[in-house]
Amino acid sequence: MVAPELWVERLNRGVAKRNARWTFVREQAFGDALTLRRFRLGNGLTVLTLIDRAAPTVSYHTWFRVGSRHETAGKTGLAHLFEHLMFNETRKHKHGDFDRLMERAGAEANAATWTDWTYYYENAPRDALPLLIELEADRMANLVLRAPQVSSEKEVVANERKLRVEDDVEGKALEMLYANAFKRHPYRWPTIGWMKDIRGFTVRDCQQFYRTHYSAANATVVIAGDFDERKALRLVQKQYGTLPKTNPPVSVALPKEPAQRAERVLRLEAPTPTEKLLLGYQAPEFSHPDTPALVLASEVLFGGRSSRLHRLFCLEREVALSVRGSISPFVDPGLFEIWIFVSHGRRRQDALALLDSELERLGSDGPTSVELEKAAAQLELSFLHSMETAGGKAEQIGFYETVAHDGAAVFDRLAGYRAVTATDVQRVVRKYLRPSRRTRVEILPSA
Amino acid sequence: MTSLWVESSDVLPLVDVEVAFPVGSLLDPVGREGLAQMAGHLARRGPTGISQARFEDQLAALGARVSVEVTMRSTRIRATVLRRNLEPLLPLLERLIWRPALRAGDFATLKRQAEGTLRSRLDDDQTLGALRFRKALFGDHPYSRTLGGTAASLKRIDLERARRFYRRHVAGGPFIVGLAGDVTHEDAESLVQRYFPSPGASRPVTSDVKPTRTRRGRHVIIVDKPERTQTQLFIGTLGARTRDPKLFPLIVSNTAFGGTFSGPLMQQVRGVRGWSYGAYSRLLHSAQRDAWYMWTAPSSEYSAACAALQIELMERWVDRGIKKTELTFAQRYLINGHCFDRDTPSKRLESNLDVELLGIPRRYVDKYDALVSGVTQADAVDATRARIRPRDLTIVVVATAAEVASSFEALPGVSSLEIVPFDRR
Repeated sequence: MVAPELWVERLNRGVAKRNARWTFVREQAFGDALTLRRFRLGNGLTVLTLIDRAAPTVSYHTWFRVGSRHETAGKTGLAHLFEHLMFNETRKHKHGDFDRLMERAGAEANAATWTDWTYYYENAPRDALPLLIELEADRMANLVLRAPQVSSEKEVVANERKLRVEDDVEGKALEMLYANAFKRHPYRWPTIGWMKDIRGFTVRDCQQFYRTHYSAANATVVIAGDFDERKALRLVQKQYGTLPKTNPPVSVALPKEPAQRAERVLRLEAPTPTEKLLLGYQAPEFSHPDTPALVLASEVLFGGRSSRLHRLFCLEREVALSVRGSISPFVDPGLFEIWIFVSHGRRRQDALALLDSELERLGSDGPTSVELEKAAAQLELSFLHSMETAGGKAEQIGFYETVAHDGAAVFDRLAGYRAVTATDVQRVVRKYLRPSRRTRVEILPSA
Repeated sequence: MTSLWVESSDVLPLVDVEVAFPVGSLLDPVGREGLAQMAGHLARRGPTGISQARFEDQLAALGARVSVEVTMRSTRIRATVLRRNLEPLLPLLERLIWRPALRAGDFATLKRQAEGTLRSRLDDDQTLGALRFRKALFGDHPYSRTLGGTAASLKRIDLERARRFYRRHVAGGPFIVGLAGDVTHEDAESLVQRYFPSPGASRPVTSDVKPTRTRRGRHVIIVDKPERTQTQLFIGTLGARTRDPKLFPLIVSNTAFGGTFSGPLMQQVRGVRGWSYGAYSRLLHSAQRDAWYMWTAPSSEYSAACAALQIELMERWVDRGIKKTELTFAQRYLINGHCFDRDTPSKRLESNLDVELLGIPRRYVDKYDALVSGVTQADAVDATRARIRPRDLTIVVVATAAEVASSFEALPGVSSLEIVPFDRR
């Protein structure tokens, strides 16, 4: 085995351009059997590699540190629209080539945008890796934005918004929740954007956005799966090494949310058969030390058939058909969301009173040791499931790298769950899950 | 010895266990649709001699999850568990499957939940459209039934019937066991012999059904829901049987038409016009001819125009067939992407169990690449013309009827239009 420092040096031999020269940064254990390596190109592109020969596949992720938080009022939804536009023509490839070449190679290509990031991915047979590198490098620098494509894609996004928000009771309620739970922070607007803003985008808006946020220094590439690491890095060097070194966009300090001191209550009437409650409690950011304990609390309350609230709400009292809870995994403080799907003929007020008393009980008595053990085991199971495929591993690495600044931190998080005590859970429930910190959306069947 | 399938991989300390029975909702008596699913879900509530709560606590503490999935022709009880706890899980699973409590109290709760689930489905326009499409396409054929039944059929299912169904068809019948993940074949065999019983004495009941029949003409059904800004559109007809010799040519042809992002359906609907976030065509196959359909979700204002475009594209596809370049493209797409049908041990296990349970010819799995690459342009054209009939279409649209009815009625060749309230139960 040759140390990465040595073969990186060989890759750099004869490479005059500083932007195309590799630096090996470090390697970290990724679980018991795998190793995550970190490299950086001279132009600032970070590349993380994970060799995993479990299947003859490779997953190629490109994560950009841009999401809806980087938009401004009146231009909401631009990050998401732009994600769509990235599948269009470039200076090298005409419209339609990207999808056609990917599909012909057997690759699944897609993308996602949220508040803090946008990522593009391909899951492909291992032999397709050179194609993935070529096409991804190409669209990072050479995208062509023209009016017909922007216009058609705006219509697609408008339709997507109707599908996911306007005609979807849960989507609409979530939009109301975030719009009211946040008063200053950009988390208050939907990632898909307000319809008026979507309709109003110009080619110039898109060009400006591309120039600002799509650069090597603002991206992380993750390659996971069955591939030859040196060959892959040589190709990355060739394809991305010509990209200029630019400074990442200046990060603007975002306004801090004022402390919430009283519950906010909203109503949504919709053609839905039963009442629902959507609650959002002001919660810490993903990297905050309290987050693991809140995740454990969520698991104790909502994690599957043996959880407290499933048992109480759905089986013993039958006040709800289902309940669920989750924490928004954001860079800045987000929300602890709770959904209660109230049973037909039951009252939402009763469901809410029951929830409040259960949260109070967990805050005063804490979870039992058996509950903590169950929660940790279930989180471990979920974690392992998310790691089954090369694509799953790449996604976890890309997410942790972008949000927590460490692609290998996913294992630390798992260890962190095991270290949470009953007292920790008690404390965070009392601190965060208080009615005065929440926004409540009551969904009522329209007449 | 029980039939056992093992897919070993030590990449993750995780094991999936599946116990599969060749019985499903096709055995539901007429008027009591939902029985097979109800029986399976009732068993999932836990074994005798232990409370439901304690049973769930034990599973959770092991880092295990158990689910029951009922399809038309199978009941699959699946568990996934941390490797270190595989052995303690198996006796729990054995008790759950072969000694379920089937309690009256659980049945009453389950029935109310099943009714609640049917009610909550009214929120999901895509599901509403998909279910109505199958109902309209298959008429009174068993393929039109929903797994979960209807409000009326659930009312007719009582505890004793659910118990009898489970004991006779599931616990008392033949089964297959599959393990996938961090377990060797040798260990799996020894564990299954130690913990699981021999197959029951009950002979499997045949799930054979009569052939499905094409409904002649073009029929529009509007699922009328208020306040829709956008529609869910399903357009289709009968497709193919699993053992149809034209199945693979049709799979390739359909892939070229509407199975990819680059195909003409997606390109014309989304790429050129931006009319729908998604646009695809799907070919399902079963023992009898199952559905072929197109799905899109256009805005109300151009939903009928989108339907007309789709029908025109479909007619062109059937009439002119696919080009050589489209054929090659579809074949490469299917063959190159096939690695993702087997990139995890659990996916490999599922495809083997499908062969055992659903009557899928073994060569469809083992010789997949050859079957796809062996399709000629003439085969694809011939299969498409032989199986897909643009004259006989079922068109289902979930929409606010007042906004779309007249434009759908004006679609070419429409012979009937029916408006159904979205909450008709």
